[in-house]
Amino acid sequence: MKRTALVIAIVAVVGVSSYALGAGTEKPLVATYDKIADGILASNHAETAVIQAILASHRSAGEAAAAAGKWDEAAANMALWANEGDNAVGGIRKRLLEGGHHHNAEGESKGLFEPGFVVVTVAAKKAALDLVAKLQAAKDDAARKAAWAEFAKLCDATVAAAPK
Amino acid sequence: MTSLGDALARATRRGAGLLAAVVLVAGCGGDEPPRPSSAAGGPAAAAKTARFSFRDVATEVGVKCTTWCGRKEKPHIMESGGSGVALVDFDGDGHLDLYVVNGWRIDGEKVVEKGRNVLYRNRGDGTFADVTEAAGVGDDGWGNGVAVGDVNGDGKPDLYVTNFGKSVLYVNQGDGTFHRPADPPGIDGWATGAVFFDADGDGDEDLYVAAYIEASLDDVLHAKPTLDWKGAKVMFGPFGLEGKANQYFRNEGGGKFVLATEEAGLVDEGKYYSFGVAAVDLDGDGDLDLYVANDSNPNYLYRNDGHGHFTEMGLWSGGALGTNGEAQAGMGVAVGDYDGDGLPDLCVTNFAEDYTALYHNLGRCLFKEVSSPAGIAAPTTKPLSWGVVFGDLDLDGDLDLFIANGHIYPQADTTPGAGTTFAQRNLLFENEGGKLRDVTEQAGPGLQVLRSSRGVAVGDIDDDGDLDLVISNVDAPPTILRNESPRRGAWLTVDAPGALRVVAEAGGRTFARDFVRGGSYLCASDPRFHFGLGPVAKVDRLTVTWPSGAKTVQTDVAVDRFVRVARP
Repeated sequence: MKRTALVIAIVAVVGVSSYALGAGTEKPLVATYDKIADGILASNHAETAVIQAILASHRSAGEAAAAAGKWDEAAANMALWANEGDNAVGGIRKRLLEGGHHHNAEGESKGLFEPGFVVVTVAAKKAALDLVAKLQAAKDDAARKAAWAEFAKLCDATVAAAPK
Repeated sequence: MTSLGDALARATRRGAGLLAAVVLVAGCGGDEPPRPSSAAGGPAAAAKTARFSFRDVATEVGVKCTTWCGRKEKPHIMESGGSGVALVDFDGDGHLDLYVVNGWRIDGEKVVEKGRNVLYRNRGDGTFADVTEAAGVGDDGWGNGVAVGDVNGDGKPDLYVTNFGKSVLYVNQGDGTFHRPADPPGIDGWATGAVFFDADGDGDEDLYVAAYIEASLDDVLHAKPTLDWKGAKVMFGPFGLEGKANQYFRNEGGGKFVLATEEAGLVDEGKYYSFGVAAVDLDGDGDLDLYVANDSNPNYLYRNDGHGHFTEMGLWSGGALGTNGEAQAGMGVAVGDYDGDGLPDLCVTNFAEDYTALYHNLGRCLFKEVSSPAGIAAPTTKPLSWGVVFGDLDLDGDLDLFIANGHIYPQADTTPGAGTTFAQRNLLFENEGGKLRDVTEQAGPGLQVLRSSRGVAVGDIDDDGDLDLVISNVDAPPTILRNESPRRGAWLTVDAPGALRVVAEAGGRTFARDFVRGGSYLCASDPRFHFGLGPVAKVDRLTVTWPSGAKTVQTDVAVDRFVRVARP
């Protein structure tokens, strides 16, 4: 009997306290979380933007190399485009994954994206690397130019299909 | 992938206090007998040994040292890697000696045995005597890999052991003993593969050391299995663990090393999880390039400009990724001209449920991944593969392939539906005109042994002209596979220290062997150039190419013998 009374008293105190706090989360904490959410979402957009910039830079460097007939350099940039950057970028991607950040978590679960990749899909990566091999195996400049043109198309399609 | 639970478990591990470790310093420990597979032994197996025959002779030749690697349960990834072996003629008597690197044994949260490395001297009849104490090479750090080189240019092979902790350099004194410098070059942490090679062409041997993850002994001792794997809890990683950077040390002469990673262009930008390393001239330009097998990340291919500056070109060389553009779990790397086109090809072992990648060299440092058409993709998909070597094991004139296997999760043995086992059978592939056929079942009792193998080194330990294999195993003694295969041809072993390449022309065929340092997994193989030649009576022309570009040519060289060619 005494124990029941004690339980009721505790529940009442807790209930009154909650009511006194407005039965809600403190507004400053909500506002802070809201700001953090803005930051997280902005970071995701910024991540997309920087990867798009990395891709654009490799495409542009590759294009210049191709125009100058520097085919090894063009191939290198194609491969780096496929990999969404060089090994330094790979290291950052690895660090993000270590921290639990997967930009395309849903796409990864469906096998569409490699872990940590933002824009380049598994299929686009494979296609780009195949074109690298095609360019390097080409017998003449016409074939190399054709491989580059295919790659440029792939870039356009991949970037256009990427989430904005 | 990293889960919140895993991250918490990791944080908890790292925050755990240091417990005093009770340490037993010991040499070789227990001798767990190998487990024969169902295919092993018996008349049926013997009847199948037509082409190859290998027998495990470790015990009978006196090699009984158990190599430890943590706990039986392997709750930390550090306990997965095992250790390596080196075949090296340390005393210059013409017979290959054996150096076995050893790790530590842990029970609960205590180190209960610091396994000591062991040097076995070849008595000349293929049996070995433990000379560790006399030679002074019995380091009891937690050993991983071993590299053989000549740090001071005195012509005597020195040893370098990568440890979990401070690595060790043993400089050969030429009198059967080694000197241990107090402050050797190296990575303090989990160092893995290492290789000595003259990167900058100045005549002395520089050192490249690979590393895996950042980890402390405290992490290892307090680790708990937190990763869900087929219904079992197993060790966590490497995903979610911080990588440790590989380093390069330039030899300033006389064995004085300075850290020169950035200067050489060898910065490990991704801090990938590196294991096997090999130095070889991949593009035929007369200098040594570098290949690094990375676990769960693209492999590195560093092209040397001839002056010791490297450009990493793995991604666009075609030699860094799997056939679908995916990063695999690189463990070991073999180098050899498996298709006889004169260019060194690469073979990289990977994790279970993934295939071993064979990269055909197209020239110009470009590669095409050909595992499926070559025949090794399917047989290598199920096992977890580590050490890998090419060698003409039947002397028929082409390079065969040997792969050491063993899982990292002991829980595989007790998990229903795991579909695999901790101890696994190694694999032997016979080269049939550039196609590699799995002949493991027909290769004698030595290939039916089930162990959790890691490294493999290849060399002629009994001086009979064919190649034998030494395999390191986790928590078990090494396996020594004596080659008792029927001979399919003549042989020639060329001892040409410092040579870049040796080409033999015989019977209308051309056989090329490149100088390879490192390779396999944490191991060092016989540095001599071994040729199986098929049915020929002599080598018409033997051409040795030196780093300077100079060539030494010998004609009408008798076969079935060892030949020494001195640098001009």
